[in-house]
Amino acid sequence: MAVAAQAMHHKALDRTAINRLGLWLFFFSESVIFALLLSARFFLQKLNIPEEENGGGQVVDQILGLGITSILLLSSATAFTAETAIEHGKKSLGHWMILATIVLGLIFAGGVAYEWKTAQFQRGEVFGTVFFTMTGVHAAHVMSGVAMLGLVWFRAVRGKYDANNHWPVSGVVMYWHFVDVVWVFFYPALYLV
Amino acid sequence: MNRAIQLGMIIAVILAVLTIVEYIYAVNVDDVQVRFFGLTAAALAKAALIVWYFMHFRRVFHLEEAH
Repeated sequence: MAVAAQAMHHKALDRTAINRLGLWLFFFSESVIFALLLSARFFLQKLNIPEEENGGGQVVDQILGLGITSILLLSSATAFTAETAIEHGKKSLGHWMILATIVLGLIFAGGVAYEWKTAQFQRGEVFGTVFFTMTGVHAAHVMSGVAMLGLVWFRAVRGKYDANNHWPVSGVVMYWHFVDVVWVFFYPALYLV
Repeated sequence: MNRAIQLGMIIAVILAVLTIVEYIYAVNVDDVQVRFFGLTAAALAKAALIVWYFMHFRRVFHLEEAH
């Protein structure tokens, strides 16, 4: 009996290891897309960010960029706490932290939408094309992350995950961190360089 | 669990500090190439911290689940 239980436990660990490896392969293929977007940005715009036509400053809002970047980093901390809490059986804390991550993700997406509305791009401007493409593709990943976090939260509050069965939470949280890593490179490329 | 969360908070604080340093550095450094290499180094450091501590990269090579 004990041997059978041990075999099942090992099988579950093997499955998790394979899931994890598959997720990392997915991250690798996604990284190629984001790296190409990044290289397109530097090919088209070199090492500068254009200024407004009337000389009033940069076309992007620096404070807004710093703000949404901080919010996304904070959401990574809440996502990490959610995963750790559920791994250790602290379900209630895990549920609240997933919810906090969703809210922070939505605030980030709202910030990007506001930037789109207010950015001072001229029609046909190369940097505008690059900016909208990079932030658009990234924001789509953020929104899909929010949707998956919502699904995981919905199932978590129904008691579907615990200390022994939490791979879906870990997988979605890893995806969230990946989206954060992408922004770590996009933020300086679009706002600071 | 508390130690794991504490470590996560320390990493989050380091990331926040690096982000602010990155911003101040970009605003104050005029040389375009120096600014580019500094920002690239900061971005790589931040990405490495997230990948290693938050995304548990080392777990890819292990079966253990716990922190």
